[in-house]
Amino acid sequence: MFKKIILATTGSPASFGAARVAFDMAKRYGSEVTIFHVLGVPTKAFSHVVNDVRTGEEVEVDADYLAWVEEELKTTYAKQFAGAENAKIVLATGMPPREILREARSQDADLIVMGASSGDSAKYQRGYPGSTLQKVAKAARCPVLTVHRESASYWGGFSNILFGTDFSKQATSAFKFALNTARELDCDLTIFHALDISGKVLDQDQIEEQLIVARKRIRATYVPQMGDFKNFDIEVWEGAPYVEIVKLAREKQVDLIVMAHHAHELDAEKAKIGSTVEQVIVRANCPVVSVSKPDKV
Amino acid sequence: MYDFLTGPMLWLTFAVSFGGLLVRIVLYIKGLNQQLDRVAYRAHMGYGLKGAFNSIISFLNPVGARLWRIRPGFALMFFVFHIGIVITPIFLIAHNVMLQENLGFSLPALPTCVADILTWAAVVAGLLLTLRRVAFPEVRILTTGYDYLMMVITLAPFVTGLLARYGVGDYQFWLTAHIITGEIWLLSLPFTKLSHVVLFFMSRAQLGMDYGIKRGGMKGSSMSW
Amino acid sequence: MPEGILCNKTPIKTDEQLKLVLSDSRGTKYYAEMLELEVDSDALWALIQKTMKSRTKTWFEICAHCGLCANSCFLYQVNGRIPQQVPSYKIQSTLGEIVKKKGKVTNEFMRHCMDVAWSQCTCCNRCGMYCPHGIDMGVMFGYLRGLLYSQGFVPWELKIGSGMHRVYRAQMDVTTEDWVETCEWMAEETEEEWPGLEIPVDKQNADIMYTCNAREPKHYPEDVAEAAILFHVAGENWTVPSEGWEQTSLSMFAGDWECCKDNVQNVYDAIERLNPKRATGTECGHAHRATVIEGPYWTGRPDGLPPVPYIHYVEWLAEALRTGKLKIDPAKRIKEPVTLQDSCNYVRNQGLKDVTREIISYIVEPGYFVEMSPTKEHNYCCGGGGGFNGIGMYREQRNVALRTKMDQILDTGCKLVIAPCHNCWDAIRDLEEEYEIGIRWSFLKPLIIGMLDVPEHMLPKDEE
Ligand code: HEM
Ligand code: HEM
Ligand code: SF4
Ligand code: SF4
Repeated sequence: MFKKIILATTGSPASFGAARVAFDMAKRYGSEVTIFHVLGVPTKAFSHVVNDVRTGEEVEVDADYLAWVEEELKTTYAKQFAGAENAKIVLATGMPPREILREARSQDADLIVMGASSGDSAKYQRGYPGSTLQKVAKAARCPVLTVHRESASYWGGFSNILFGTDFSKQATSAFKFALNTARELDCDLTIFHALDISGKVLDQDQIEEQLIVARKRIRATYVPQMGDFKNFDIEVWEGAPYVEIVKLAREKQVDLIVMAHHAHELDAEKAKIGSTVEQVIVRANCPVVSVSKPDKV
Repeated sequence: MYDFLTGPMLWLTFAVSFGGLLVRIVLYIKGLNQQLDRVAYRAHMGYGLKGAFNSIISFLNPVGARLWRIRPGFALMFFVFHIGIVITPIFLIAHNVMLQENLGFSLPALPTCVADILTWAAVVAGLLLTLRRVAFPEVRILTTGYDYLMMVITLAPFVTGLLARYGVGDYQFWLTAHIITGEIWLLSLPFTKLSHVVLFFMSRAQLGMDYGIKRGGMKGSSMSW
Repeated sequence: MPEGILCNKTPIKTDEQLKLVLSDSRGTKYYAEMLELEVDSDALWALIQKTMKSRTKTWFEICAHCGLCANSCFLYQVNGRIPQQVPSYKIQSTLGEIVKKKGKVTNEFMRHCMDVAWSQCTCCNRCGMYCPHGIDMGVMFGYLRGLLYSQGFVPWELKIGSGMHRVYRAQMDVTTEDWVETCEWMAEETEEEWPGLEIPVDKQNADIMYTCNAREPKHYPEDVAEAAILFHVAGENWTVPSEGWEQTSLSMFAGDWECCKDNVQNVYDAIERLNPKRATGTECGHAHRATVIEGPYWTGRPDGLPPVPYIHYVEWLAEALRTGKLKIDPAKRIKEPVTLQDSCNYVRNQGLKDVTREIISYIVEPGYFVEMSPTKEHNYCCGGGGGFNGIGMYREQRNVALRTKMDQILDTGCKLVIAPCHNCWDAIRDLEEEYEIGIRWSFLKPLIIGMLDVPEHMLPKDEE
């Protein structure tokens, strides 16, 4: 399931959390890890001059520079490298989200791991809406695992998975991924739906009623798919979905949240408010996997 | 001397001058090359001529081209100078009297006072154009001795004509000087930069065809010069 | 050392040579070799005699030295009006001298010519409109670049650029396989949101064939996807060729005439092969100029026209909006002051000034569109044309050049600039980077996609 992992990184401290998860998974599950680093955005002609992702400065990509960056990355991840047999470094130039997607596609990767800010510097954001994460999450064939906080409570391995559903088409894929992961890694799985009551005036009876409906729906939709898998639990709460998901995750000491990603909107402003998964990523204390395509679950 | 200058020499001058200008036109057209100029002159003659016409007319009209509109001072000098230079000699009474005597026909003549004014104006405008050359760095850097020479050749018949006209000093002398400078003027037309009397039309027409054919004309968009 | 290993009179023809020159950071060694490069005066003079005909000769002869062209040149204006930037002076002191000396010029002089030809003129052709004699210095500089290229005096990036075109038939190392793969990829990625969307490669007899800029598959493939979305929504029967898809021509900027011809021929061959009714290209100015406006002459077509009608993307868009193939949701129109950058290469060089404004009339709420001043065919170059954007050695001069556009934009008071040309888009991006005036800029495709009134049946079936 996690044969090929791409760790999209800037080599900055913001990506250490993501790196920790990726390397740990590699060690535990024998995955191949590609440390994928986008050097920068070409500023002119044929990509030989780029704005460095980290410094925002213009640099010329030549053999010396490449060697230097590679060395830097090796030092940065020296500890992790030590244990990981199957790790390699790949460098590219271009727009980070594009190049991450391109690499994932060409490798047919099973999972992309990124820090929430992988490759976002103001410089090449300009003129293109949406963050790197949004773009990768939207278009990737495979699930995208994000670690936003360095301090995320990840102790190694996964044992307690929370799957948040909104019953969308993408959620079907996300569920498959959650289930397969739970099976494979022998985890507990919580299937959760938050009844979005923001902006609506409902009396308590109506709420109760809808909660029951949602619970039934979960039973009807997901339980039949689980076959002999019994370590699951169903929760339906009312509230703002992202708040409830984060709350529940904390309560249950969840170590992985799985959700669907289906923001059609690339406009940064609108999408940021609109997408529950992104809110969750920012707030959650554990890695979050977003799934939008059925291919690699 | 006078007879020679107004006789065989005049004929020779006319022949060389106008013949020469004709040759310049022919050579210009022969030297056009559809592939090197990247304009399909032949294939789209209609569009081309339309563009050529637009291009020439816009620049003969003192408010026709944006260039003239944004540079009214220069436009004024330019048009006064050129109208004086081109119109006066052709429609001058004195010249037409001679035409009548030699060839038995004449063109309508300008009233003397109009001719005087045009001549004076041309000379003054010419001097102002020359002053520009000294005054403005962007013109100074382009200017060469040749440009001054052109101006001297251009204005010489006008100055001598005026001197003869007002009878300053020896009339005969000034008249001879006038005729000599006049003939130099005519002879210079095909051989110097003054060839622009015809090549202006050629060059404008060429660029007009370029715009009329390739650069938008065939898309139905007419160039606003 | 008359001919260098990197810097010489021979065009780059092999991948090895290309890699070799490319690996020379910033062209340090290349330019060092250029100091020693010998001028082959005989060849130069022979070339001039063969190619310089009455048009150019006459231009030199009749130039009145009046200096009227000075103010028409944005580089003159923006560089403190120094007389050395007067167009007529620039060309006479370079090409004019070479001709006068019958090609017997020094290495130093050739390098000076190179500086002038690539850093003091963007071949925007504006001066030609302001010369009373109709003398077009932009055209002459294009010609001078050809002469310099033939002698090996060409900026490093452009030597490589035309080398790319020669080796890959694209301005970047994008192979046919890369291109086709990118089309597949983008179709896959987009299909979900746009059910039924396809990027048909090499389809015979389509109504319209689409060509693009290698930068798109290389770095911004979403641009290809966006084109596909708009064709899809418009119900267009379209295709892209697997070979001959690259429309741009750095070789034109470089003055590599032979290569220009080869590039365009490659696109025309695709047209012959696939037999589309029409063709169109991406939102690029110089690509259109190369393939559609100048290309027919390079390939020697007697009518000066491409094999089938070849329209600019803005023409296709205007047509699709006019005929209702694409519909704009009036509620989503732009409701903020917005201005438009007219690209020299298809406005001054093909008169496409009204179609872009027609598009504006559909997508901008009335009253919000602000013209730059001057505008249309009188507009100034973006500041990065003619290859200027891409040459490292002239970066500083380029940044100064951007100020003209900056002032024009500031004068409109708009924060949004529509720039339907790759070069202009780049220049405006760079100008924001350099001067931080707080503007946004965009191609038309993404703007239009965001405003589409999409027919019900084209939307993805709802999840529930
Ligand atoms: C070559 C043969 C020419 C002859 C025989 C000739 C003869 C004359 C004569 C007899 C006059 C009258 C002077 C007077 O009023 O008493 C005159 C005036 C004049 N000529 Fe010519 N001319 C010749 C060429 C030219 C040329 C080539 C030009 C122009 C470029 C020219 C421009 C003038 C002008 C401007 C005046 C009049 C000045 C005035 O009325 O205030 N002439 N010419
Ligand atoms: C119909 C005929 C003519 C046309 C369309 C024409 C057009 C022009 C143009 C476009 C210029 C450049 C602008 C300028 O510098 O003023 C010019 C300059 C000039 N023309 Fe003419 N011209 C004509 C006839 C003549 C003639 C007959 C002469 C005298 C022999 C002449 C003498 C000059 C001179 C001396 C200049 C340079 C002015 C300067 O120093 O700035 N032109 N002409
Ligand atoms: S405007 Fe034309 S005639 Fe005058 S100096 Fe410039 S190129 Fe020469
Ligand atoms: S073509 Fe443009 S940049 Fe070049 S000299 Fe003319 S106005 Fe200046």
